[in-house]
Amino acid sequence: MMAFEAVTGGYEPGLPILRGADLIVEPGEILALLGPNGAGKSTLVKAAAGLVPVWSGRITLAQREITNRPAHRMLAEGLGFVPQTENIFARLTVRENLLLAHALAPRERRGTIAEMEALFPDLARQRSLAAGRLSGGQRQMLAVARALLAKPAVLMLDEPSAGLSPRLVATLFERLAAIRGTGVTILLVEQNVRAALSIADRAAVLVGGRVAHLAPARDLDPTALGPLFLGGGH
Amino acid sequence: MLQLLADGLIVGSVIALGAVGLTLTYAILRFANFGQGEFLTWGAYIALSLLGLLLGAAAMEPLGPFSFGIELLAVLPVAAALTALLALALDWALFRRLQQGQAIALVIASFGAALALRNLLQFLYGTLPEYYTREIQIAIRLVPRDTLGGLRITPDQMAVMGLTLLTVVALHLLLTRTTLGRSMRAVAENPSLARVAGVDVEQVRRATWIIGAALAAVAGIFAGLTGQLRPGLGFDLLLPLFAAAILGGIGSVWGAVLGGFIVGLAESLAVPLVGAEYRAAVSFLVLIAILLLRPAGLFGGRP
Repeated sequence: MMAFEAVTGGYEPGLPILRGADLIVEPGEILALLGPNGAGKSTLVKAAAGLVPVWSGRITLAQREITNRPAHRMLAEGLGFVPQTENIFARLTVRENLLLAHALAPRERRGTIAEMEALFPDLARQRSLAAGRLSGGQRQMLAVARALLAKPAVLMLDEPSAGLSPRLVATLFERLAAIRGTGVTILLVEQNVRAALSIADRAAVLVGGRVAHLAPARDLDPTALGPLFLGGGH
Repeated sequence: MLQLLADGLIVGSVIALGAVGLTLTYAILRFANFGQGEFLTWGAYIALSLLGLLLGAAAMEPLGPFSFGIELLAVLPVAAALTALLALALDWALFRRLQQGQAIALVIASFGAALALRNLLQFLYGTLPEYYTREIQIAIRLVPRDTLGGLRITPDQMAVMGLTLLTVVALHLLLTRTTLGRSMRAVAENPSLARVAGVDVEQVRRATWIIGAALAAVAGIFAGLTGQLRPGLGFDLLLPLFAAAILGGIGSVWGAVLGGFIVGLAESLAVPLVGAEYRAAVSFLVLIAILLLRPAGLFGGRP
C-alpha cells in the first residue's frame, strides 16, 4: 500500500536524518512507528507529506510515486497528515477549520462535516469557538477530523498523544481504532509505546534514520524495547 | 470640530484601504512592502489614462450630484485589475526570486522597486498635478454652523466613505466566507500546516498580491478624486499606511481599517494645533507611540 524504499533525507544538505529507511505499510493496518528521540520518526512522515526533502530513495502510495511531491497535492494522492504541534488553525473557528478542510478535499473523496461531528461530538458543540481555545484533546480531535475530511487512504499522525492526559489518550486511540475500522490505513508515530502498541497491528522501531526492527505489535514487549531505543537492534 | 472629524474620516478612508493591502502583504507574504504606496499612485494614474482613452478630449458628464461620471466607476475595476497585474509582474520579476532569503532583502527590494516605479511614473506623466474632473462641487451643509462648528461635506467625499465601507465589508466577507479567504487566513497563521491541509500557497500568494494591489488602486483613485493626482501621492501616504497597519496590529484587516481611520482623524485634528504643513508628522508620532506603548497593535496577530 505505502512503501518507503531506501529513503534518505533531512532538513539541511549534508546532514541526513533519514539514512536509507525501508518500510512497507500494509492496507488497513495501524503501524506504530517507534524509536528514541532524534531517530527520524517525525522526519520520515514529514518526508512522506512533502515537508522534508527526500534526497534519494522513493516513497510510493498504491504503486504511485509520491516522492517530493508538493505537500498540498498529497491529499489528492490519498495521504493525510496530522502534525505533532500546531496542527489546527487556531485563529479560525472550529467550523471554519472543518469548512476549509472540506473545501480543499479532493471532490471524489470528500467526507462530510456531519460525519466528523458525529465521530467527534465535542467539535459540534464547540463549532463557533476559535480553535485556539479548544482543550488539548479537542485540538487533536479537530486535527484528525480535518485530515479525515479528505478520506485519506493512509493517515499519518505525528505523536498525537503528546501533552494529553492518559484518559484523553485512551479516548483518542479508541477513535483511531474506529477510524481504522472504516478502512483507513494509519501510520502512527508515537513516544507513548504502550498506548501505541495497544491499538497497532505492527510496530517498526526507527533508530538512526533506519528501520531497526519490525514486528507484529503483540510480539513486542514495551519493556524490551530499551536496547533498541539505545541504539542496538538488527 | 465636526468638520475636522469628517475630514479625518475621508483621509482615513484612503489610508484604511491602503493599509489593508499592506497588512495582508505582511501577514501572508511576510515582509513590509514599501512599494504599497506606489500601487496607490499607479492605480490612480492608470485610471486617469483609461479615462483619457474612454473620453478622448471630452469631459466627463457628472453623475447626479457627484463631480465624476459613470466612466470613473467603469474604469475603477479595470485600473484595480491592471494595478494587480503590475504587482504580479513585480512579484514574478523580483520578490519571488528573493523569497527564500532573509526578509530584509525583500524589504530593501520593495524600497528599490518603489523608487523605480515612482520615477517611471514621473517620467511618463510629468510632475504637474492632474485631476479626474474639473467640475466644481458644492459642499452640502449637514450640520448648521452653530452646532460644534458645523459640517459641510461634498457628495464625492460621501461617495468615497460609502465605497470604502462597501469595499471593507466585501473584503471581510471574502476572508470569512470563502475558501480563498480562509486559505489566506490559514497561510497567514501557519504556512506549513496550510500546505499539509491542501492549500496551494503559491495561489494564495498571487491572490494576496492581487487583492492588496487592487485595494491600493481603489485607495489611490479615491485620493485623486478628493484631492489631486501627483507622482508623490502614494509615497506621501506611505507613513500613514504603516502607522495604520501597525496601530491596528500588523496582519489584522479590521485593525488596519480602524488604524486608518484613527490616523486620519489624528492628522485632521492636529491641523488646528500644528498647522496643515505638519499634519504628516502626526502619523509618525502615532507610529512611535504605538511601537512604544503597544507594539502588537490594537488587534495584534488577528488576521
